[in-house]
Amino acid sequence: MKKVLTVAAFTYRELIRSNMFYVWLVSVVVLSGLAMVLSMLSFGDSVKIFLDLGLVAMEMGGTIVLLLSLAVTYNTEMDQKAIFLQLAKPITRGEYLLGRVLGFYMVVGLFVLGMGLVIAGLGVCWGGTIPGLFWASSVYLLMEMFLLCTLGLTFQMMGTTMVGSFLYTVFTIFLGHLIGEIEWLLGQDIASWIKTLLRYIEIVLPNMEVFNLKDRLYDPTLILGWAQYRDTFLYAFGYSFVVFMIGWINLEKREFK
Amino acid sequence: MDKTFARGVIRMTATSAPPSPAVRISGLSKIYKTGFWFLPKVSRALKSLDLEIAPRQAFGLLGLNGAGKTTAIKIMLGLLKPDTGTVEILGGHIGQRSIRNRIGYLPELPYFSRQHTGRELLAYFGALHGLSGKALSSRVDEVLELVRMTKSANEKLAGYSKGMQQRIGIGQALIGKPEFLICDEPMSGLDPVGYKEMRDIFIDLKRTGTTLFLNTHILDEVERICDRVGVLHEGVLKDIQNVTDIMDSDLPVDYWIDVKSGEASKLSGLPFREAVARHEGIHVQGAALSETLALISSKGARVCGIRPLSSQIEAYFLKTIGLDRIISHAAVPSPGGAS
Repeated sequence: MKKVLTVAAFTYRELIRSNMFYVWLVSVVVLSGLAMVLSMLSFGDSVKIFLDLGLVAMEMGGTIVLLLSLAVTYNTEMDQKAIFLQLAKPITRGEYLLGRVLGFYMVVGLFVLGMGLVIAGLGVCWGGTIPGLFWASSVYLLMEMFLLCTLGLTFQMMGTTMVGSFLYTVFTIFLGHLIGEIEWLLGQDIASWIKTLLRYIEIVLPNMEVFNLKDRLYDPTLILGWAQYRDTFLYAFGYSFVVFMIGWINLEKREFK
Repeated sequence: MDKTFARGVIRMTATSAPPSPAVRISGLSKIYKTGFWFLPKVSRALKSLDLEIAPRQAFGLLGLNGAGKTTAIKIMLGLLKPDTGTVEILGGHIGQRSIRNRIGYLPELPYFSRQHTGRELLAYFGALHGLSGKALSSRVDEVLELVRMTKSANEKLAGYSKGMQQRIGIGQALIGKPEFLICDEPMSGLDPVGYKEMRDIFIDLKRTGTTLFLNTHILDEVERICDRVGVLHEGVLKDIQNVTDIMDSDLPVDYWIDVKSGEASKLSGLPFREAVARHEGIHVQGAALSETLALISSKGARVCGIRPLSSQIEAYFLKTIGLDRIISHAAVPSPGGAS
């Protein structure tokens, strides 16, 4: 475990010191500012709308940070072959991959936490109160981001190109948000082969809607108990675990020409 | 120790069994497949490679680009899987963590995360070798001193020159005090000072008993550092020789003879007269050297310098891969002839 943490700390430092950190700062300012301006222009409770948009901004920003992190590490590790040196050291490929994943979790976690605090702070300064669902939504967002990190790194380890791994990740994120639409289609009168195909897609794709609490921030009927947290956590953990194992198996088999 | 049982008496006989090799490669083959699955292009990178390297030996693997040298190294390190054959390093398999802990590796033109300092990078690789706390920091200091990077240790790698990166590269290879060091083109991109420093490091390592495996095409490097040399050509290990045997051999070496240009008139009738008049030297093969010198001397002209144009190692290498005749015929039309 010590070696896993060593790789995680190294990855974290690498990402946080890269230009991506400035992108992070800029996106915090721009996205928070944008959320503020839009909420001022809209009708209704400005603070509520600001918190709502703030969560959307957190998700967008988190995804940007994740994709940039993947690009940074892909360039160093795969294109420039820095991975050779590390895999030649007394560390297993599984330890290496787990370390990278944890390093990514730390960076994305820092982003979500940082941006959540900025949004909440601005909301309080604006005279509003922060509902408990805002924090719950942030925790759900964090779980979503962790899942996407595992997915993105797995695509990276599967021997695709940088563009390939970038596109696969974006595509999966996009389709993952369409699970609701896929379920709706399954209920329609369509050809059986399309239904079978859609069922497979539904099983394979991550269901991003599981993590979506943003739309229900002020829904009085929504009551979150420990069971909901547990189920969402288990889904995120289970899906990430399976994806991690696929990435690990691929990395074990991968040859570095 | 052999135990012999005779009439109830145990006799212990000391035997000097040869030490087991640091590296034992048997029947190693590797094929690269590219292209589409239904239309694959196949290239054989290694063909049944057999090689043994004794402990504390410095071995140089020579070969042209694409000869299969890097493939051999990557298989040794477990980065590639062989199609056939086995590799045994330090008595074990590369997959074993304990074996990898005793190996150092320097790739050709190493690249590191540019966001870290030299010290942080060495500390990271040291930690991967299981070092921690004071042992780690003192080993990092020791290696920084060894590769002469103490002054730049706290600067980010983004600001390092190619030579500095190469030095920090050898530093990471040495951080775990390896018993066996594998280097792929270690002199790439180094200036003359860096080249000399790197060579001194290798000579020091050799002195302290580290087994070295140098993959190179800088022949001078092999001559100065290595004990044995192997020639890999088109995936086949053509030959292995002791460097001293090559140096003692009578392989043809080319020479360049400088004659005072003012004395060209004395060389009338000799084929290289015009060349001397044009302030050029005379390019001769080793076998023709004494004959050519005697000719020049018989005409009363003075030779002001004789320089070897190639080395024994170069001649050995070219001969082994079958390029000696082609190259010498192109360069030297006839023994003693002007070029």
